[in-house]
Amino acid sequence: MRNRERSPWRQAFRQVSLIIFMAGIVGLGVNWLRADPLSLVGDWSVKTGTAGDSLAIPLAEAARLFSEQAALFIDARYEEEYADGHIKGAINLPWDDVQTRFPDIAGAIPRDRVIITYCDGETCHLSHDLAVFLREKGFKEVRELVNGWTVWRDTGLPVERGNGTPP
Amino acid sequence: MEYKGKGAARPYSAAIAYRAARWILGVVFIYASIHKILDPAAFARAVYLYQILPDGLVNLTALVLPWVELFLGVLLVFGIWMPGAAVLSTFLFMVFMGALSYNAARGLDISCGCFSISPTAGGANIRTIVRDGMFLTVSLYLLIATFGAASLRGLRKREDS
Repeated sequence: MRNRERSPWRQAFRQVSLIIFMAGIVGLGVNWLRADPLSLVGDWSVKTGTAGDSLAIPLAEAARLFSEQAALFIDARYEEEYADGHIKGAINLPWDDVQTRFPDIAGAIPRDRVIITYCDGETCHLSHDLAVFLREKGFKEVRELVNGWTVWRDTGLPVERGNGTPP
Repeated sequence: MEYKGKGAARPYSAAIAYRAARWILGVVFIYASIHKILDPAAFARAVYLYQILPDGLVNLTALVLPWVELFLGVLLVFGIWMPGAAVLSTFLFMVFMGALSYNAARGLDISCGCFSISPTAGGANIRTIVRDGMFLTVSLYLLIATFGAASLRGLRKREDS
């Protein structure tokens, strides 16, 4: 019986539980002490896309900016998807190639216009990552149109086909 | 309760390999934990993008998992609580492997979030899966060596009594 109690598997189970328990205490404790603690249950709904940032732009506002020609739309999807159809006037900056492609088109992005990134699908995050990236690059007014391609097309807003990527 | 190389029971080279495995995995876990601890919000985003956990568990995981990695790394480096450390390390590498493969299979192009949490860092791809597989192999070796030594000792104890 004594051997059973000393079984390494039991020991392992107890130790694993303790490690996780201690990590839980310390992790939550440190978070509590932080100047900007993370909420324990974040709001990860598709609308916001991430905990509490205001990146997402409603479709109506995006459409208004489009009609006033006050926004530049950037398609974060692959080149082929972009060529198949995109928001009229949008330029293509595939998130996958962003490091190589961004320097080429950086000059073509006007600083005084709102930038609206989009991709396709509610959980598509390419446009979100691109928006964060552009903000890091110093563009102030960057927004993300969640599920952009689908909602734009289904609403009947202007689209176009073809490869309009700047060389 | 240490299951380091035990003199005569274990040849010298095996003791070296065992120690090397502990140190490699320990350093990997400590290194991986640091930036996640420093920027939990960014790590939470990486966890969220995996689209595996329910939203309600994303932040909690992002807050606790890095500390599990840090503690585990320290235990491995110093060879403390080896049965637990070997089990947990193997379990974690298996979970990471599952998550990486699952998302690779469904074509979700996300960043690994393993050693860097920047969204512009390299994506989770076949390379990160292979890398995880190498760590998993080392961890499995550690697990077998740890439990092999432990059961040998248990066996000897039974024979003694």
